[in-house]
Amino acid sequence: MKSDLDLEPGDLLVILRHGPHGTSWLREGLDAALVAAAFGRRVSLLFMGEGVSALVTGQQAGPLGQKGTAPTLEMLAMYDIETLWVEDEALSSLGLAEGDLMLPTRPLAAEAIERAVAAHPLVLTF
Amino acid sequence: MKLHIVNRSPASSQVYAQAVTAMGPDDRLLLIEDGVQGALPQLVRYYEDIPGRLYVLREDLEARGLLGRCDGSVLVVDVDGFVQLTEEAEQTVSWY
Amino acid sequence: MATTEIYRYLSVADQQVGLDPEGYLVDLDQWSPDVAAALADEEGILLEDDHWEVLRVLRDFYARYEMAPAMRPLVKAVGMALGADKGRSIHLMRLFPGSPAKVAARLAGLPKPTHCL
Repeated sequence: MKSDLDLEPGDLLVILRHGPHGTSWLREGLDAALVAAAFGRRVSLLFMGEGVSALVTGQQAGPLGQKGTAPTLEMLAMYDIETLWVEDEALSSLGLAEGDLMLPTRPLAAEAIERAVAAHPLVLTF
Repeated sequence: MKLHIVNRSPASSQVYAQAVTAMGPDDRLLLIEDGVQGALPQLVRYYEDIPGRLYVLREDLEARGLLGRCDGSVLVVDVDGFVQLTEEAEQTVSWY
Repeated sequence: MATTEIYRYLSVADQQVGLDPEGYLVDLDQWSPDVAAALADEEGILLEDDHWEVLRVLRDFYARYEMAPAMRPLVKAVGMALGADKGRSIHLMRLFPGSPAKVAARLAGLPKPTHCL
């Protein structure tokens, strides 16, 4: 585990703590990130807790055809949102490894999360 | 310095752990709404990593009949104190 | 998001195409090149090759990401698909004057871009 983080803080850190489908929190958090990025702000994303499940591969539309969030996650790069962090502990608590995730992310230990939060002038939690 | 605000009880939610994880060494934490349960002696251990930086909102304690039951280590503030904490912080971060 | 309320109809040959108050298609499946040309006509735009290739980029974008792009990602997508000299906002401004992300999304039969004001 690499603990010294070459943090390149953005203007905004969006912390996503909810999984896909169950609630609209994840979508709302992604919307906030995309709006900020569309206006040229540098945005970092941190997936915490249950939020790491948003990155699992193989997601589909909901049983009633509801759109998922996976296509939006794939779109992040088009908005130049490329700093994607995941809470290391949350990954292992769900039995997930980096290879189970649909995008290249960087796992952060607790101490690195603390520094990531401190380094951003604006932090939004969803 | 950031002010973190938690409105969920550690008895029923993991949100407290996310807040404590995200806190820097100078950051403060304020418990509001159901979060004030975290100020009880039986639950305050969840915040043992942030001694001297744990605040709780008086009005929400009073409403729940918990004002006299707080652990002595927790700093009780009223709404004016809440405003002052907010003003002293560069940003507030809500955990809900 | 596409709205469900039809505000007016656009006549294209023998087809009635429902539009929302901002002129976006209500039923995205009604899109065709003829519909695009009719929508463009409303904007005073005559669609040529330079326009069509951008509309194709937009439709590919939507098929892949399920959203219409704001200006910055549109510029990036056009640049990736059509080359750096076309992936510039000045080029898109010339083709789709005013607000290129909104105008081009409308002509391409996409919903209104979500992340631009």
